[in-house]
Amino acid sequence: MNVLNEIEALIPDLRRYACALTRDRDAGDDLVQDCLERALAHHRSRRPDGPLRAWMFRILINRHRDLIRRAPRAGHLVAVDDLPVEPGRPAGQDSYMALRETEAAIARLPEDQRRALLLVALQGATFDEAAQALDIPRGTLMSRLARARATLRTMTGRDGTRPVSARPIDKSKDPSP
Amino acid sequence: MTRSALTDEELIAYFEDALSSERRAEIEARLVSDPEAQAKLADWARQNADIQALFIETLDEPVPEHLRAVLHQAPAPRRVPGLFQIAASLAILAVGATGGWVSHANLATPAAPVLLAQAAIDAHDTYAVEVVHPVEVPASERAHMDTWMTKRMGTQMRPPDLSASGFSLMGGRILPSAQGPAGLYMYENEDGKRITLYISRQDTGGDSAFQYTGSGPTQSLYWQDDGLGYAVVGDMPRARLKDLAKRTYDQLL
Repeated sequence: MNVLNEIEALIPDLRRYACALTRDRDAGDDLVQDCLERALAHHRSRRPDGPLRAWMFRILINRHRDLIRRAPRAGHLVAVDDLPVEPGRPAGQDSYMALRETEAAIARLPEDQRRALLLVALQGATFDEAAQALDIPRGTLMSRLARARATLRTMTGRDGTRPVSARPIDKSKDPSP
Repeated sequence: MTRSALTDEELIAYFEDALSSERRAEIEARLVSDPEAQAKLADWARQNADIQALFIETLDEPVPEHLRAVLHQAPAPRRVPGLFQIAASLAILAVGATGGWVSHANLATPAAPVLLAQAAIDAHDTYAVEVVHPVEVPASERAHMDTWMTKRMGTQMRPPDLSASGFSLMGGRILPSAQGPAGLYMYENEDGKRITLYISRQDTGGDSAFQYTGSGPTQSLYWQDDGLGYAVVGDMPRARLKDLAKRTYDQLL
């Protein structure tokens, strides 16, 4: 199959990941568009050894890092009350609330933990695929995932303690490189 | 057999199916007597289900035509940015111009090379995020760019070839600096990672060794040579930055 067709087939996955990362449909689509433009500019010089999917996600993630640098704190200042509530989800009240809690918790994870968690939990990336896409060693990925999952658990109150979701996460405590 | 509680790292590797069958069997044996770990695994599965449910819609939507168009090289009708976005990007440029370059003159005299490195980082952070106009003159107009930048800088300007490190030249631009016009070259690798090389006059201090500075993820490696200051800037480990700086240095000799 033509590499451009292969890339096109990845667009739905890229969109879902970009929208989840940015929590904004338009910003997510802009991110995907940038990613596709870069892929188009470089696909002929790409090393043929790595999988295309990991390469595309790596481009998207690099682009997202650039954008975060432009607005470094945007991802950490979302007040729980300000999160958009979409009406009419086909779910019972309890599970609806639980979903909203999870969404709010994900929104306040440090950026690199969210990228890692969404790759495996949303995109179903394997350990190696996620490490390749994020361009980090397996050990770093493992500790990022462990921290993301533990934080999510605490913020949704499912670790037996009370939820602390009203308090913002202090980004300076994230020890990632 | 050990009966210590399972660590989160062990559980993550188990949960993500990243273990050898031997290790997997060992973890499973320990799980039986570790209700806390069992609860964690159950909750992680629930996290995954929640995350899947939260973002299910985008997957089923038809792909917007303007995204498909990018790949088919039709001129992509980019979504027109709202007024707020335009205002925000102008504000960033204004901060870059005043906060970044001008106000440094008022600070309590940091050493000139540090100023150069900071100006280089500001320039990188301003332009590396650009989609439409990352450079003023694209690499496709290389001859014109070299003539123009050489004239503006008053010294021979030729961007180094960093293709051995996987970076290809996107182009260059001229920037204002405290020492007169400064040159900025931008490079991109196949992963879409961008680095910049900043060059300006640096009359004080003579030649210097490589030095690092960085604010946040953006790192700069800079040096002085023969009346010019150089800074290689990027968001990457220092070893890789150093490799790029060395290649640059070798070619500028």
